[in-house]
Amino acid sequence: MTTAAVRLQRRTVGLRRALGPIAQARGFARGMLWAGSGLTLLFVVLALFAPVLSPYAFDQYQSNGQRFGQLAHPGHGHILGTTVQSTDVLSRIVWGAQTELEVVGLALAFGLVIGVPLGLVSGYFGGVLDRGAVLFMDAMFAFPPLLLAIIIAFLLGGSVSSGVLVAALAITITYIPQYFRVVRNHVISVREEPYVEAARALGAKPLTILRRYVFFNVVQNVPVIATLNAADAVLTLTALGFIGYGVQPTQGAEWGYDVSRAVSDAASGIWWTGLFPGLAIVLLVTGLTLLGEGLNETINPVLRRRVIRRVDFAAPSLEPSSEILEP
Amino acid sequence: MHLRPRLRHLAVLGLAGLALAAVGATAAQSKPLASQHSLASTILDGTTDTVTNIDPAGNYDEGTSVVDLMMYQHLLGFPNGIAKTPQPELATGCKANGADTVWTCTLKQGVKFSNGDPFTSADVKWSFDRVIKIKDPSGISGLLANLASTTTNGDYSVSFHTKTPDATWPYILTTGAGLIVDSKVYPADKIVPDSDVSSLVGTGPYKLDKFSSGQQAVFSPNPNYTGAKPKNDGVIITYYSKSSTMKLALQQGSIDMAFRDFTATEYGALAKTKGISVYKGAGVSIRYLVFNVKRAPANNLAVRQAVAYLMPRQDIATRIYHGNVQPLYSMVPKGLPGHQDSFAVDYGDSPSVAKAKAVLQKAGVKTPVPLTVWWTPTHYGDSSADEYSEIQRALNSSGLFKVTLKSAEWATYVDTLGKQYTAYQLGWFPDYVDGEDYLLPFYLTGNFTGNAYSSPKMDSILKKEQGSKSTTERLGYIAQAQALAAKDVPIVPVWQGAMLAVGRSNIQGIQQTLDPTYILRFWNLSKS
Amino acid sequence: MGQGSSLKQYALTRLGLIVPMVFILLTIVFLLMRVAPGNPVDAALGGHAPQAEINRITHELGYDKPLYVQYGDYLWNVVRGNFGTTISDRRSVGSIILVNGAATLELTFFAMLVAMTVGVLVGLLAGRFRDSPIDAGGRLFGIVVYATPVFFLGLLAQLVFGVWLGWLPTSDQASPLTQALLQTHTNIFFVDAIIDRNWSALWDVTKHLILPAATLGIVYGGVFIRLIRVNVIRTLKEDYIEAARARGITERHVVYRHAFRNALVPVVTVIGLQLALLLGGAVLTETTFNWPGIGHYLVLYIENRDYAAVQGIIVVFALVVVLVSVLIDFVNAFIDPRVRY
Repeated sequence: MTTAAVRLQRRTVGLRRALGPIAQARGFARGMLWAGSGLTLLFVVLALFAPVLSPYAFDQYQSNGQRFGQLAHPGHGHILGTTVQSTDVLSRIVWGAQTELEVVGLALAFGLVIGVPLGLVSGYFGGVLDRGAVLFMDAMFAFPPLLLAIIIAFLLGGSVSSGVLVAALAITITYIPQYFRVVRNHVISVREEPYVEAARALGAKPLTILRRYVFFNVVQNVPVIATLNAADAVLTLTALGFIGYGVQPTQGAEWGYDVSRAVSDAASGIWWTGLFPGLAIVLLVTGLTLLGEGLNETINPVLRRRVIRRVDFAAPSLEPSSEILEP
Repeated sequence: MHLRPRLRHLAVLGLAGLALAAVGATAAQSKPLASQHSLASTILDGTTDTVTNIDPAGNYDEGTSVVDLMMYQHLLGFPNGIAKTPQPELATGCKANGADTVWTCTLKQGVKFSNGDPFTSADVKWSFDRVIKIKDPSGISGLLANLASTTTNGDYSVSFHTKTPDATWPYILTTGAGLIVDSKVYPADKIVPDSDVSSLVGTGPYKLDKFSSGQQAVFSPNPNYTGAKPKNDGVIITYYSKSSTMKLALQQGSIDMAFRDFTATEYGALAKTKGISVYKGAGVSIRYLVFNVKRAPANNLAVRQAVAYLMPRQDIATRIYHGNVQPLYSMVPKGLPGHQDSFAVDYGDSPSVAKAKAVLQKAGVKTPVPLTVWWTPTHYGDSSADEYSEIQRALNSSGLFKVTLKSAEWATYVDTLGKQYTAYQLGWFPDYVDGEDYLLPFYLTGNFTGNAYSSPKMDSILKKEQGSKSTTERLGYIAQAQALAAKDVPIVPVWQGAMLAVGRSNIQGIQQTLDPTYILRFWNLSKS
Repeated sequence: MGQGSSLKQYALTRLGLIVPMVFILLTIVFLLMRVAPGNPVDAALGGHAPQAEINRITHELGYDKPLYVQYGDYLWNVVRGNFGTTISDRRSVGSIILVNGAATLELTFFAMLVAMTVGVLVGLLAGRFRDSPIDAGGRLFGIVVYATPVFFLGLLAQLVFGVWLGWLPTSDQASPLTQALLQTHTNIFFVDAIIDRNWSALWDVTKHLILPAATLGIVYGGVFIRLIRVNVIRTLKEDYIEAARARGITERHVVYRHAFRNALVPVVTVIGLQLALLLGGAVLTETTFNWPGIGHYLVLYIENRDYAAVQGIIVVFALVVVLVSVLIDFVNAFIDPRVRY
């Protein structure tokens, strides 16, 4: 191999090691990864390129001076029909993707930024503060998450003007205990490992230990949980929208709110205002869950199944004659 | 001890169930209802209202007043529909002294409460005294703010002494604060809780048999009622949290009728459904846009007038509410004596961009004017979102305004509106059906809208109105107040709602009970 | 015996932790409610009475006292067992728990039954036939079903079974007349009808239970599918299963007699953990089907800033969840000494 290739190989060792399991995924896990990434990517694209992809703005009710029909049947001009406010259903789906992913992305980011360091510190240093934090987080767990989100949406709704931010914070707070717990439990098991002990014996400062050894070890769990949480977060956000809190209709399109408005239409035979937002929710959450589950199956050492190459001793080549999955 | 898993989890669930059953068994047990209720003759009504405290001294909301009006009576009221003045119910008549400070009422004789107790003046004094004494947080005692004391003259005469001359005191008697309760049963200083159904006695056409808060209220005819017997054998009101669920129930026939409240789309769909009719009568609820006259840009009269010129009332009435509301051109609604279309006179009955532009130019206001308009998502109905979108569209498309819409849920909204909002949505439901109740609450200094409007001229007109000696004089002041309100335009009236009820074809009598008194007279409904 | 004392210790530790946990929850709820703008008087009187009146009543009810004073008053009441009465409709919080809590219990119980049935059936098949299309189908079903918002599925169910087919009622616990005539014993309509041997009422109540319980149950069945499948797979890897196979027992017998039971063990734990989730999902189901449960009322009381109601309900909610999880942990610890603290 050329020196350049060797150098590249050496530099990317960490990356390849990290992504290795994904390349080795087979079977349903692989299917899930592909399907999940595909669906999620679809919605990400919709969200990012909403201004370009969407035929109209989310609250646009007219075009060229002509008002759209109210509750118009799906057909020319409005592929998915219009709502009671004369807005285009398809546009609201596309812009809604942006709202959902915006809120969920923010919520995840906040949750990680707060929950992971808390878990790290609490797990590593232990003591009274740790006990207290665990107690607090356990108490939060006992709370039905949706209700906690509603109360916080109230609390912030008065002072924070951006509905997206309010919803994101409300969801964040319901997920911090999860990140905390997972990270902390992992830290507790890792901190007793011999290499950590060795580092301590060598006189390394706690922060260095955390940074160098513990963090990367622990952070492996996070992508899976983050993706599954993203799925749950979308459900919580749409539930908030359905009940009437969260992102207000004048600030952006939100699928849960659209379904709640469509409920009164539905019994009158108007199905397009509710069916499409509902399906959008199902698809996005399914995509995220598939992605998360797929990742879980491939990365989690308990569940992952490596490919076993059966070596045929009769033939001299090392090429695998067949592949099977370990049971 | 290693229980099998299946048995174990069954045991856990079973234990939980038994535990709750044991605890629940100690809860109040209801007496068996006589099976006089049968599907054939009991009216099944649905509503999305909520009931707070049935005791008249403890509630000040529409949902509870529907229940109260079935069980209690006033001294004066509107038992047979809208009338020019309050009509006798438990009193045969009320007269004022010369100064309008003492109103004396003669009471009907031979009336009994549903538990057999006789009705006398002691009950009247007791009822009014306790409303004031209890001073319930619902605010009902505010209606009796002008009552200094109540005195009895024998068993069948009672006098009300007011603090200031009050020409419209009889109208106060027709409000929820004037409902009469049994002095032998109701405590003087406490509300009777809703769980104590047997104590909630009144003189009205029905008595309350069973009440499950938030679920249903069951009524059967009051055997001691002195008026005409109800045309049915009872009423069961089922409470729904969402109108869509109520609509499905109505379509399926689980309920026979519904009063308050469906969305505009739902009314439209119900009107087209076979076997179901939507009945419409004159209504008295109103919606309006309030300006805080001290906050920019609403502190500029020209800005407020421009909005009045641009208000798209017709569009809102047809597009959003499908004709179930009508454009409103004065805070005193149409159908009430003294109503004037003052806003139509001053600003035209349809939007005019040219006139709005002219008034802004004349005042030297730079356009487009940035304005934040607030609304609330559920308290005034789900269509509020659509209504205010429509207002925003109208104002923005004129090129003269740049409106940003914001919303807050009810409790936050109410707490903040006086402190921060410049332009905001409000609605009103009258305490009593008279023009006065549509002027005093909005235009007096210190009014509840929190818009800091204070005009000495308006205050004096309204004071004179309250002290008027004759109806003509009073109506004159009411007209003056409306004219001034249109000139100062601290509030822009938007629409007036109709009184709507929906019934299946087996219920008769609904249309006749829909009138500006806004009382659904269940006792006049019959089921075939 | 050593086992006995450490078990007792474990129990005491867990029980002892309940008090601080509940205390923390109480404080959180208290702070959140009071700090949110608006108070119960605003909610009740706003838009109807002048600000001066609102201020007067606020003062009379003590909502303008300093936070720590209100907090102290509240704690003092709770300690004496008085959770107070709601402000908006004067019901005692205790009666709300009993009456509406019973409705939620009825709903979640039957929903749990549906969830477990769905979970066991599909999960078992998926685990048994791992990597086959049955497995893939089952897992996909579980994922999609959990991804469906409860309110959306409820709406579809109401439309299909209520409106188009007309088979089932779409709301409430019972039809108005049945409810009016039913005697209250436990407030769980199903049980009350049985106690009275009122079979027509029982049928009516059951019909009303089907859609809500099925909707909530199927959605959460998705969670159980995943769990049971993983457990079945894990159990099937155990040595004793290997041994049973070696002894010549048929695969079917192996799966249903041996693996199945042991795979169900963690389900009990999950029920406790899922309780909080299920109660949250119940809020949406209750709103969609007009079910007078406690979650639905909680949302209403939050809107009305009914401090007493919200605080009382959430605390009892949390107590139930905590107690059930402690009970289950205790049972687990009883069985499996490795779990002890």
